[in-house]
Amino acid sequence: MHIPDGFLNNNLAGGLLVGALGMLGYCFSKVFKTVTAFVGISAGNNGNTNTRFNSFGSSKGVNKYFQKLVIIALWIFAFQMFNIPVQSATSAHLIGGVFAAVLVGPFLGFITISSVLVIQSLFSDGGIIALGANIFNMAFIGSFASYYIYKILSRNYYIAILLACFFSVLIASLSCLVELGISGTISFTTAFKDMMKLHLAAAFLETIITLALLKTFKKLIGDINE
Amino acid sequence: MNKKTAAVILPIFVVILASLFASKSPDTLEIMAINYGFEGKAKEVISLFRDYSFPFIDNQFVSTFLAGIIGLFFLFVLYRMMGKIIRCFGK
Repeated sequence: MHIPDGFLNNNLAGGLLVGALGMLGYCFSKVFKTVTAFVGISAGNNGNTNTRFNSFGSSKGVNKYFQKLVIIALWIFAFQMFNIPVQSATSAHLIGGVFAAVLVGPFLGFITISSVLVIQSLFSDGGIIALGANIFNMAFIGSFASYYIYKILSRNYYIAILLACFFSVLIASLSCLVELGISGTISFTTAFKDMMKLHLAAAFLETIITLALLKTFKKLIGDINE
Repeated sequence: MNKKTAAVILPIFVVILASLFASKSPDTLEIMAINYGFEGKAKEVISLFRDYSFPFIDNQFVSTFLAGIIGLFFLFVLYRMMGKIIRCFGK
């Protein structure tokens, strides 16, 4: 679902790129804040900080946490390379938003998927100017939408993952279509049905791979917050 | 095998599988572009590794595999840098 350069008009692509950089900056500042807040404080939570970052308490903790983050990113990169045929002459690949967001939360999930997208743009998988749009579709919607869907439904793990995968892929493809529509590349109304139909298959694929990856990750690495 | 080693080997293994078996069919957005006739709008960006391959390597498997491994390496380096910066801020 990587948008190449040229599909979007420059204003939209540029605007989204600026937005994506701003969001990345915000996410990084949030990570920095929690890191600095936890260093030297053995107990207590100042209310703002997320308990997920407990392991940042020491520099060793930071190391360990980053090892897990890089493993998540490497897995997503590798699996995004693996295009799987979904229909006749069509292939789809994992987005990985749910996988990252469930393990590390939406902010770090956003950073993780964005890092993968940045590297992919070097391989011209997705354009450079269109990188902002790709980050918005796959990293922002992929991690934030899926994280909150997962959180709301977290009472049943499987249903939560299923619906998070389903809706995140469909919302991401919808936003991709809206961007293409705004740019005048495609007519939103005529393409809507086709786009959803195509991505329904991609959503199924996402669910299956995400469940398998989460299981494998927990087996190999254990809980990320340990 | 050490579990962590397995976690690092897994993506390399997936890259090998991807360079052997990944579908060459256009992906969901590309097929939309083809069906709706706007695939010509895509601008070719000058890049050393177009579509996960090197133009100077003839063998499809080798070239995709190499591109994948280089991608994984770039990501690894990116995270090393991020980790260093975060640790600086933490101190």
